[in-house]
Amino acid sequence: MTATAPSTRSAPASAPLTGQLTSTPRVRGRLDYALVLGVLVLGAALPFFMTTSQMAIANRVLVFAIMGVGWNVMAGFGGMFSFGHAAYFGIGAYATAYSVVHLGLSPWVGLLAGMVLAAAAGVGISYLALRYKLTGAYYTMSTFAFAEALRLFVQGSEPLRRTVGFSIPVQQGSSFAGFQFPAGSPWYWWIGVVLLAICLLATIAFVHSRTGRFTLAVRDDDAAAAALGIDVLRHKLVAVALSAAITSVAGMFYVQYYMFVDPSIAFGAHTSNDAIITAVVGGTGTIWGPVVGAVIMAPLSDLVAGFLRNPPPALDWLAGQSGLDIIVYAVILILVVTLLPKGIVGTIAARRRKQ
Amino acid sequence: MTTTLPATDTSPPGARTTARLSEKSRVLLVTGGVLLVVAVVAGLRAGSGAVLTQALVTGVLTGGIYSLVAMGLTLIYGVLHIINFANGSLVALALYLTLVCVQDLGMHPYVALVVVMPAMFLLGALLQATLLNPVMKAPIQIQLLITIGLALAIENGLLLAFGPNPRSVALPGNTGVRVLGATVELSRIWAFVGALVIVALLALLLQRTRVGTEIRAVAANPEGARLVGIDIRWIYVLTFGLGAMAAGAAGVLVSPFTTIEPTTGAVFNLTAFVVVVLGGMGNVPGALVGGLVVGLTEQLAGLILPSQSPLLAVFVVFLVVLFVRPRGVFGRSA
Amino acid sequence: MRAWSGAGIAGLALTLAACSGSAVSAAGGGESSTGESVDEVLIGALHPLTGSNAADGQQMANAAQLAVDAVNEAGGIASLGGADLVLETGDTQGTPETGQSEATRLIEDGAVALVGTFQSGTSANVASVAERNQVPFVMDVSALDEILEQGYQYSFRLQPNASLMGEQGAAALAALAEDSGTPVDQVAFLYEQGNYGAAVYEGFQAAADEAGITVDPVISYDATAVSDMTTQISQVAASGADVLAVAGYYRDSLLAAQAVDTVKPDLQAVFGVANGAYDQPAFVADAPSGGEGYFDANYHWDVTNPDAVALAELYEETYGEPIRTSAVLTYDAVMVVAGAIEEAGSTDPTAIRDAIADTDYEPLVVSQGLVSFDETGQNTNAGIVVMQVQDAAVTQVFPNELAEAAYRFPAAPGAS
Repeated sequence: MTATAPSTRSAPASAPLTGQLTSTPRVRGRLDYALVLGVLVLGAALPFFMTTSQMAIANRVLVFAIMGVGWNVMAGFGGMFSFGHAAYFGIGAYATAYSVVHLGLSPWVGLLAGMVLAAAAGVGISYLALRYKLTGAYYTMSTFAFAEALRLFVQGSEPLRRTVGFSIPVQQGSSFAGFQFPAGSPWYWWIGVVLLAICLLATIAFVHSRTGRFTLAVRDDDAAAAALGIDVLRHKLVAVALSAAITSVAGMFYVQYYMFVDPSIAFGAHTSNDAIITAVVGGTGTIWGPVVGAVIMAPLSDLVAGFLRNPPPALDWLAGQSGLDIIVYAVILILVVTLLPKGIVGTIAARRRKQ
Repeated sequence: MTTTLPATDTSPPGARTTARLSEKSRVLLVTGGVLLVVAVVAGLRAGSGAVLTQALVTGVLTGGIYSLVAMGLTLIYGVLHIINFANGSLVALALYLTLVCVQDLGMHPYVALVVVMPAMFLLGALLQATLLNPVMKAPIQIQLLITIGLALAIENGLLLAFGPNPRSVALPGNTGVRVLGATVELSRIWAFVGALVIVALLALLLQRTRVGTEIRAVAANPEGARLVGIDIRWIYVLTFGLGAMAAGAAGVLVSPFTTIEPTTGAVFNLTAFVVVVLGGMGNVPGALVGGLVVGLTEQLAGLILPSQSPLLAVFVVFLVVLFVRPRGVFGRSA
Repeated sequence: MRAWSGAGIAGLALTLAACSGSAVSAAGGGESSTGESVDEVLIGALHPLTGSNAADGQQMANAAQLAVDAVNEAGGIASLGGADLVLETGDTQGTPETGQSEATRLIEDGAVALVGTFQSGTSANVASVAERNQVPFVMDVSALDEILEQGYQYSFRLQPNASLMGEQGAAALAALAEDSGTPVDQVAFLYEQGNYGAAVYEGFQAAADEAGITVDPVISYDATAVSDMTTQISQVAASGADVLAVAGYYRDSLLAAQAVDTVKPDLQAVFGVANGAYDQPAFVADAPSGGEGYFDANYHWDVTNPDAVALAELYEETYGEPIRTSAVLTYDAVMVVAGAIEEAGSTDPTAIRDAIADTDYEPLVVSQGLVSFDETGQNTNAGIVVMQVQDAAVTQVFPNELAEAAYRFPAAPGAS
């Protein structure tokens, strides 16, 4: 951490990916693609050995995972630590809700609209930030301020239903065009897994493409990259656009699954936190880190709540007490960040490379 | 961060100093001018001079309170370059400690300062020593995430320990006081005075003591400081302790007029960030100015745009300042 | 290799999480039995047992248990052969997502009806789960109008909604003024900017227009961000209004009271409408001058109803603290459900839903008659009562038939 000299470098992400760059990209890509296939197969099978309420948790894992994958593109691969990713999640959620409730359109239209709007918003705010040379803490604060301003704006906006938010109208029966199924239907999960797979594929393709490799170079040392003739601004903005678009997909899935959204769910600081924590715990700058992070962090509050319902006699005094689950969450975050700063996947990758 | 000196300047050294000084005053003049215009518009919107006066006086006082809460944040940033997301929750912790002092130990709220400030100093020092010092060389997001984790842990620890019901602390002899044609609570005036006192004390500490000089040295150039024999890790511990102590003082001083809940810290966090950036990250007197701007913006925006949250206006101002003059009104200084 | 380990961990974790295997189950309520004799009937209660509203949530869960115990002590559900009611509680943690997964869990466990949830956002979500699973859901506390505007057939609400409270509040103020002989011509209205405050205001404005009362100035504020209301109160003072009406949550309403105490506007009274503070014992402790004389027109349990008083005493005996109105509403909700199960003579959720829609239960909260749900599921007889802080105690004062003590009007704030 450089506390000294002024620098135009944005906050550096963890470094493991430079190690990856030295191996043949094509082989790496093939493995990752194969793994996505594995995820799809596993995803197809999962509903057959899980109860409905466990599937509810699994769907929450999906939301976290897509958010984490999205955030990771910008922060892990692009080197820009965003603290306001809720903005893109919220745009995706609201675009979907508005399309369905006010315009009577299919949520898939809302999905596309949300992706475009989120990418545009991301590019807009990042362009301003980069043009005015905001770095480090200032950059982070600007992303946070943007998400908060958006939340307050939506909260005061009559057409966007102010604080009450949107409820998706219930349709009985199944509809793929309307992305609505009977409660507890495994179709939510299956379609969600496909969405996650698409986001992963986009990320993998990006990282292995020429644009992606240039973006990684910019992340690692933008002065050197510029000296080599790489357009720093463009490559950063590409990462932001992809990141925002992916995150907005999570917003759409959230709205369709939970059938409800309001400004604090969509744009609140805890949503931004969830995206960050998922990716960091799993491993920033790795493809699979956010997925692992989601699997660990998303079920956490349910696990703790379940534990608190029937605690072992020694911890009886904890039963019914508030706040313990978030304390566990926070402790895990601090432990992982302190002991495994590269995240779980990142640390494993680094160890493997040493062997 | 970019330096504050102009790039190409061939004028003689004396003139350069004058140019730099009038740049600062120019910024202050512009800020003052903008506020004046906004105030006039607000007064016209409200249709009453009395209401405008109340808004201005309230704006100044709440501004002082915002700066008080933000003092620790800006100090910690200036030296450690960490945005302490746990600042708000430390204020909340101090509020609860004050509650315990007043209700269980029968103290006068302000006397609780004697207990709360040292306790918070020790806590801050401990947190830095155990959690943050080991990762000071890691990328910035690691440290940010630790402070986020701390914020969550402290807030929920308070929830666990004290429950969710709102509590309060009363200041004996609190009453309304007429100030320049407006009426304000005495406790808020005390909080404002407290903010001024703390700025003065911190400035004294930083400018006139050896420790203060070391802190400033580390803020300006850690490597250089290490080379001249300053124990950087100890300075970090000390600074975080001071920052936590400032948050503690803020908590005690706002307790008579603030509802005490575990989530009280979160509200303070938002405005504190804005204050810190406006005043110049790391600039303690700047936090006073930043606070005043935020407080006045909030009150005047409430008059001009009555159906919108005044926080929106504050954030818009924040974004504008970030882009136009990120180093804030006063720029960086330790 | 690295990438394999990543996905491998993911897969392992997911498989481990599937502890008790169970086939993919289609949606649906609990086993519906058309048989006459069952041993137990399960109902679910969803409340924020943790999180910032846990104090109310825990009370509500306790009250649900008391209601279930009362039914069972009286012999259970006679039409099902004396079957016992069993309560399963869920913790919404105050968030819609958890509310949804908890509702799903309870329905999966076989709950034939749900009550809850205290927070409107969570209730909206649970209402949609209930609708999709075709399980009746009776809301005890959730004020937002919009929840019942979705056309749901399976959701019902006992509490008066926000705009109804605003309307009844204005009507009550007008009636009070007339009864006292002190006219009220102009009311200043201060409300929190969210949909709750806005709906209360709109209801109030409509009824005030009818009663010939001018509402001016109308001032809104951001409840989460506000830290000082002296500017707003000085606007009220400058306007010459007779009465200040406040529709807000606890923290901000307290700030308003503090500002009133500081600025000392010349008012006949401060009149809360569906106010989160002015009928709370905590307010008396926190407010300057003990909040003496402050009114609140709000839903409340009826202190003149002997059954309600008996419940309050039982609650205090069992749990050691005074009962909150929210908990009394939960008690009412469970009773409505129990009555419906009795009426339907079946554990089929749809039959129970139909019986709920026809209920004629007499509630323990202040009401304008027996519980009667309209086609959207709103209890149209839901009512409010005007309370006032008198001698450090919150007292029912108006309408006169429900008064514990005579109202004091005018009640200028700060003058004890």
